[in-house]
Amino acid sequence: MATTTVTAAVNRFGLGAKPGELAQAQEPRDWLRAQLRTRHDPAPFAGLPDSREIIRRQNEYRLQRRRAKSDAAEGDDAGMPSRQTLRRDAMADIGLRYGLAATTGTPFVERLVRFWSNHFAISIDKNSARLLAAPMEREAIRPHVLGDFADLLMAVETHPGMLLYLDNAVSVGDDSMLARRRQRREGQRKLGLNENLAREILELHTLGVDGGYAQQDVLELARAITGWGTPLPRELLQNGAGSAFVFRAGAHEPGVRTVLGRRYAEAGEAQGRAILRDLALQPATARHLSLKLARHFVADTPPPALVERMASAYLRSGGSLSALYRAMIDDDAAWSADARKFKTPEDFVVSAMRAGGMRTDRQPLLLIRLLQGLGQPAFTPRSPAGFPDTAADWASGDALRKRLQAAAALSEQVGSTRTPLELAIGALGAEAVQGPFADMLRRAGSPQEGFALLFASPAFQWRV
Amino acid sequence: MTTPSFNRRRFLAALGGTAALTLWPGLSIAASGGQTRLLVVLLRGAMDGLHLLPPRDDADYLRARGALAVRDALALDGSFGLHPKMMFAHGLYTQKQLLPLVAVAPPYRQRSHFDAQDCLENGTATPGGARDGWIGRCIQSMDASEGLAIAQVMPLAMRGSSRAEIWSPPLPRDLPDTLLQQLQPLYAADARLAPIFADAMTGAAAEMGQPARGAFRLPDAMAAAARLMRGPGAARIAFVEDSGWDTHRGQQLALDRKFGELDAGLRAIREGLAEEWARTAVVVVSEFGRTVAANGSAGTDHGVGGVALLAGGAVRGGRIGGDWPGLAPGALFEGRDLRPTTDMRALFKGLLAEHLAVPEAALETRIFPDSRAIRPLQGLLRA
Repeated sequence: MATTTVTAAVNRFGLGAKPGELAQAQEPRDWLRAQLRTRHDPAPFAGLPDSREIIRRQNEYRLQRRRAKSDAAEGDDAGMPSRQTLRRDAMADIGLRYGLAATTGTPFVERLVRFWSNHFAISIDKNSARLLAAPMEREAIRPHVLGDFADLLMAVETHPGMLLYLDNAVSVGDDSMLARRRQRREGQRKLGLNENLAREILELHTLGVDGGYAQQDVLELARAITGWGTPLPRELLQNGAGSAFVFRAGAHEPGVRTVLGRRYAEAGEAQGRAILRDLALQPATARHLSLKLARHFVADTPPPALVERMASAYLRSGGSLSALYRAMIDDDAAWSADARKFKTPEDFVVSAMRAGGMRTDRQPLLLIRLLQGLGQPAFTPRSPAGFPDTAADWASGDALRKRLQAAAALSEQVGSTRTPLELAIGALGAEAVQGPFADMLRRAGSPQEGFALLFASPAFQWRV
Repeated sequence: MTTPSFNRRRFLAALGGTAALTLWPGLSIAASGGQTRLLVVLLRGAMDGLHLLPPRDDADYLRARGALAVRDALALDGSFGLHPKMMFAHGLYTQKQLLPLVAVAPPYRQRSHFDAQDCLENGTATPGGARDGWIGRCIQSMDASEGLAIAQVMPLAMRGSSRAEIWSPPLPRDLPDTLLQQLQPLYAADARLAPIFADAMTGAAAEMGQPARGAFRLPDAMAAAARLMRGPGAARIAFVEDSGWDTHRGQQLALDRKFGELDAGLRAIREGLAEEWARTAVVVVSEFGRTVAANGSAGTDHGVGGVALLAGGAVRGGRIGGDWPGLAPGALFEGRDLRPTTDMRALFKGLLAEHLAVPEAALETRIFPDSRAIRPLQGLLRA
């Protein structure tokens, strides 16, 4: 295959070439397919607390804060050890995430992880989900990213991060035991249904906004998943280990539910799970996922025929994500000469880290600020729809201006002894580094200036 | 934000003042076509309206707030005063260019910052009611108007328009001009990125002579908004956000500083807009207010009713707007909060209708969906 296809595999499907990586991908499709056969490896994140532990620490911190409030009239909680611990762990989590992206040998899989993390976006500017976005990616997304979509969907929708972010943890069936008991007590806040998560499951996570569901389906799904919640402080005290998902039968709306015309008998927790399993295999879901994947990997407006072929492969396989990815990489439309994507700020930073052998992740604060300054703060899309995914959303004058400035900052971090020209060829391929571009890198006043020019160059802004 | 139009680059050029004039000869900064301007300032975290605009000598207020009560407020009318750090704003009031509105809140009635901000920004009755914002939809419904948010990420309020841009201060490092010049021919050869690079360079020119790096606070953001709202093709609607208003503890010191910043911000926009001020309305809002009573840590907790400020040469100020329900225990919402009497959408609708001449049909369907029952406030602006 032509060199351009090698660079597409590494730079468009992967996260941007590390030095030497282009040579490993001489058979681009095989290189990608081999990554789909790898197994989930939790090792890079070993030692980080799990969601249940994070929720426990958060409760402890809140308790401490409440105590401190009653002690001191004017407190400053900065000195509290547990707040620092929470912050440090959250930063370490994000640092590891970018460290892995900068170094991984399976960058296609890592890009898929990030794709799904954004598909099932939770935004950490919502306080209740602040500490759980990175853990959700570790716990719910990574293990299932090469498996069946239904398993991925189930893991995400039962994760405390999602249950808190989209308020299902406080959703109580109107006819549930809990709501009826509460009604008999005077003066207490009424409990009731919250359809936030159910709506986003249908609109964003599965069928898509034009996926043919009605408000009644939203309501019915919301009722079916009442009771899906997170542990209460006292439950965490009683029982040290266990899941961070709790099914509360008392909050569950009893009765038969009908979603998309199909009836689901009362079965407690299993009722919602059965609906999610069916949603995962809906043709609308297949099309929605295929379109988003093709838009992410191929082009802002991907060929509709490619999307159709991907969707059929997914349905034929009974909802296998690997089958869906394989259909995409096997398809010639995914490799056409005009297929390209404008890098998001995160793509830009990660690909620079990979090209320059940088370990910016070891200074998570620097990295976090850089991503923020570039307009894509980690896990903060500010909407359950996630960060947008087309050039129109990211390529503006102000954004490019910031990127040129970030190129200056990133060039200071390059640890390589290679010349800028060598680094550029290693990152973009020899074909893309010729003529005036190559001359400019050769003439650079210093290696650092050369690295800055590489990161600031138009060629480096694209995944081609 | 598709391929930038000539108009959009002109808009960016407004950043540059004289630098822009040399780039775009033939444009006069003064010629704004007499168009009105609107700046929306969102104070995230629930600004304490009772601390900003204390009901002076109100026995219920003094009792509920105790040591936290503001006793040295600058007199406005007979009933209300303005926090002493709001000196400039007080001057605007005496010039009849400041209109405080009491007991305002978005239609949301719980106490989550995030949900309340979503509700305020999306312009519907509920937090999840829309995925784009009322300002974005408003810009989209107006012919050839530009919107601008001073923010790192497009705020929900401004989503939904292809004519909304964001601007944030430059990063600490920069590429030397010599390198930018070398990059120029490479970008010129990339058809998709060439115009964007030109935009970036126009912006870069405008950044020269800006204050040295440091914390970028509300006054800086409002000064930047003023620069971007001046001149032809500049943003007609701008949005500025600020955080740090969630004063559960140590409220007095915290709000001394924050009100000082808000006051400096109003001065910055007044001075920055110069002659455009006469055609400008600034609306300052927060997602909700705070409890009437002080809590046990010299602060206040989340409470629904808040205050909004309108300022500007176009505003019919020098009076207090809104219906004041009082702070008697029986008058409070759920026994603890100031009871909201004005839906914030009525304020926004009034502004858009009167100040930007947005047709009512668009207001009650597209911009604020299903809001026919929420009548626009009238008489906010000078005739």
